[in-house]
Amino acid sequence: MSNTCDPAMRDLEANVPSLKRTLAERMLGTLKWWVGILVPFGVLGLAGWILPLPFVMEVLIFSIYTMACNFLLGRLGFISFGQPAYLAAGAYGTAFYLYYFGTDPYMGIVAGVLAGFVVSALAGAVFVRLRSDYFALVNLALTVIVFYMLQKVLAPITHGDNGLWFLDRMRNTPVLDITNPRQLALLIWLVAVALWAFYKYIDGTIFGACCLATKTNEDKVKFLGYNDFAIRWTGFVLANTTAALAGSLYGIYFGFVSPEMASAARAADPVVVTILGGTGTLYGPLVGALAYVGMKDLVSRLVGNWEFFVGLLLVTVMLAGEKGIWGTLQPIAQRWVGRWVSESRE
Amino acid sequence: MRDVPWSGTGSDGADTKALVVEGLDVSYGDAKVLFGVSLRVEEGQLVACVGRNGAGKTTLLRTIAGFLRPSAGRIRYGDVDLVGWKPYEIARLGIRYVQQDKRVFSDLTVRENLELASYATGDRNWDIVFHYFPKLKELLDRKGGYLSGGERQMLMIGRALLGNPKVLLIDEPTEGLAPSIVELLRDVFRELKKSSSVVIVEQNLPLVADVADKVYAVKEGRIAAEISDAQAIKGHAYEQYL
Amino acid sequence: MEGNIWISGVIYGLSMGSIFFLLAVGLSLCFGLMRIISLDQLLYYSLGAYIAYTVETAIHQPWLSVLSGALAAGIASLVVERWVFYRIYARELTFTMITSFGILIGGVGAIKYVWGLIPRPASIPVDIQVSILGTPVPVYRLIIVAIAAGVYVAIQIVLNRTVIGKAIRAAVEDVDQVEGLGVDVYRLFTLTFVGAGMLSGLAGALHAPLVMVDPQMGLEVVPFVFMVVIIGGLGSIKGTLVSAFLVGQVVSLGSLIYAPLAQMAPFVAMLMVLLVKPTGLYGSPLLRR
Repeated sequence: MSNTCDPAMRDLEANVPSLKRTLAERMLGTLKWWVGILVPFGVLGLAGWILPLPFVMEVLIFSIYTMACNFLLGRLGFISFGQPAYLAAGAYGTAFYLYYFGTDPYMGIVAGVLAGFVVSALAGAVFVRLRSDYFALVNLALTVIVFYMLQKVLAPITHGDNGLWFLDRMRNTPVLDITNPRQLALLIWLVAVALWAFYKYIDGTIFGACCLATKTNEDKVKFLGYNDFAIRWTGFVLANTTAALAGSLYGIYFGFVSPEMASAARAADPVVVTILGGTGTLYGPLVGALAYVGMKDLVSRLVGNWEFFVGLLLVTVMLAGEKGIWGTLQPIAQRWVGRWVSESRE
Repeated sequence: MRDVPWSGTGSDGADTKALVVEGLDVSYGDAKVLFGVSLRVEEGQLVACVGRNGAGKTTLLRTIAGFLRPSAGRIRYGDVDLVGWKPYEIARLGIRYVQQDKRVFSDLTVRENLELASYATGDRNWDIVFHYFPKLKELLDRKGGYLSGGERQMLMIGRALLGNPKVLLIDEPTEGLAPSIVELLRDVFRELKKSSSVVIVEQNLPLVADVADKVYAVKEGRIAAEISDAQAIKGHAYEQYL
Repeated sequence: MEGNIWISGVIYGLSMGSIFFLLAVGLSLCFGLMRIISLDQLLYYSLGAYIAYTVETAIHQPWLSVLSGALAAGIASLVVERWVFYRIYARELTFTMITSFGILIGGVGAIKYVWGLIPRPASIPVDIQVSILGTPVPVYRLIIVAIAAGVYVAIQIVLNRTVIGKAIRAAVEDVDQVEGLGVDVYRLFTLTFVGAGMLSGLAGALHAPLVMVDPQMGLEVVPFVFMVVIIGGLGSIKGTLVSAFLVGQVVSLGSLIYAPLAQMAPFVAMLMVLLVKPTGLYGSPLLRR
């Protein structure tokens, strides 16, 4: 990982004097925080006025969804083909609240996040003990269970395939009115930025370092006196609660949920987008979501067969060295910005 | 022991080949474990690598055998550079690696283990195996998982003897074995030298003193000393480098 | 009357189990030997079904079409193995898993492009029924069970009686050791992968007449195949057989008791198995993480 945001790498760079960094690069390091938040999300925020709003919202929600998977894969080393289960948990948590109990969409989001937390806390207690190959498969199984629960077993309350409609049950909210698409987009944007900053912050904490360490060598983590189960469980719950938040936002955005959300056929989407964007990189989820949603949109409009191209792109990205789109672009961008910074100093 | 008829091709001197390692650097990910290691094994020599655990001895053998790819340096045998060769190609060339930890296929019988080696090398004559290790003949139908440590070591070395090997790379052959088996292996090594070159990684210093023609002391990924003087080897002169 | 339902239920479960076995055994062997989770096996399954369907429509030779389905799947897997997997065997499990997923969805896209989106009905090769204890049972389902049994026996013979098979067994245990003996393990990999691909294609071709042939058919069986592999234990042939029939029966008999249960019960069973034994019924705990 050539990523300087990576804590292990950062420590290495701090401790190894031979890695002399130029002044420009060091400046870039301090700038990164602000550049990181302002540039990509700012561009996307502005794009909301140019690109179709639904597209921007889709990209933003998908990038939140992917951030969760990115954390699992890039920091904990877990590959999960079961993200739709947590997405659906969040979406249905929100939907149940808004359909049966209340009308406040913010409370709906809270309900969704809580539902996601409960599901992932329970599942995590069992799953994080498993070997990585079984972990991937078991999560998929959970997705299938959730799907059939929603579609058949809980049909009396979920209305099966017909789904739950609650668009017109949401009441107007003060300050940021969720029922207004543009203000909803702003909310989603704010949530995405906040989460981005949050995961960036996590990377710098001891917990973040422990996550990365369990990925590399769990035994060593145990010998250092950390509880590797607790670390993995916390990371798992954190990530999947984030996925549930994305599901909740999807629910609010569509005003509708259906079991289709937990469809196993979509199980690999977040993993694919994570890899596509660049696993473990901070901008990966955003770049990946943009590329994936954009390509699906564009290709299915032009050719009508997005699977083939997504598959082709995925295999190409993997064979090209697994760094993903952002992982490949990052060094180039860094050099570019670095040159710009040093020029402006002279 | 009597002279064996299959004692290799080296005696006529026409194609004497040395195994030469030059400036080998090896890393596991970010961690570098070998730093510019060089060594030379002449035909018919028994070379021992000694050093503490984690010094990089096993890494060295695994790299020569092709399981690890060096980041720098060359591994020459005769006039070919082996870097980039696949392990099975190196094995077919006659450079055999006998792993540590006495790993045989636990689900396969001794016979099947040997059949596999025959399949790989095309050498179906097991006489040489039974010449060195007559005990294996009685154990042919026993599964690898039910063999004792010594028997496993016999099988591992025996397997590697098929197909007329030129160089044997043997990792920790006597680790954890009974003294009587170590005695047996000592005799085997002395005789093996006549037909092939041998490199052993060994912690048992008295054994090294008995059989080695040259000793490399490996310390923290570097060759700390090279001792080829017979008296010095007998006198355990390498101990100070460990 | 009651008994009739149960007998046909068991037969149905056996035939489903057979299909699951043919599909999962390749996946399991590939994992055991190469440490890859080859999701693209499900592409060969779909491909086998489509080729069988196409050949059958063209020449009306049911068994020939099944054979051509399996062969086409074998050829496709050979191409994929040479071009993609050969370069990435040394990479970690998640890497190959995602790559194989890319191949799977790319292939599904290609199938949509060639054959279109509409599900197609494949005609059944043997359309007669026999009576077992007074219950009419489709002969075709019995043939599927017989074929799966034959494949199991053949795999066991290859693994236990031929030197290549012994090399494969040995390599499942320790691939470095086999390569150290001078065995070209990449040839073993290719053989195993293509063998697995052909079995997947065979499964697809045999399954086609029982379901509609449609582009998503590979993705639809993914959960079941995963489950079979997990319950049985990755890398174990015997485990795959046992769990395939177990899952087949649970799906079949479960649907007789309470329809929605049929789809879910096996997954619940799987979670139970994993809670008790995290590596599946016959899985080896020795495999590296």
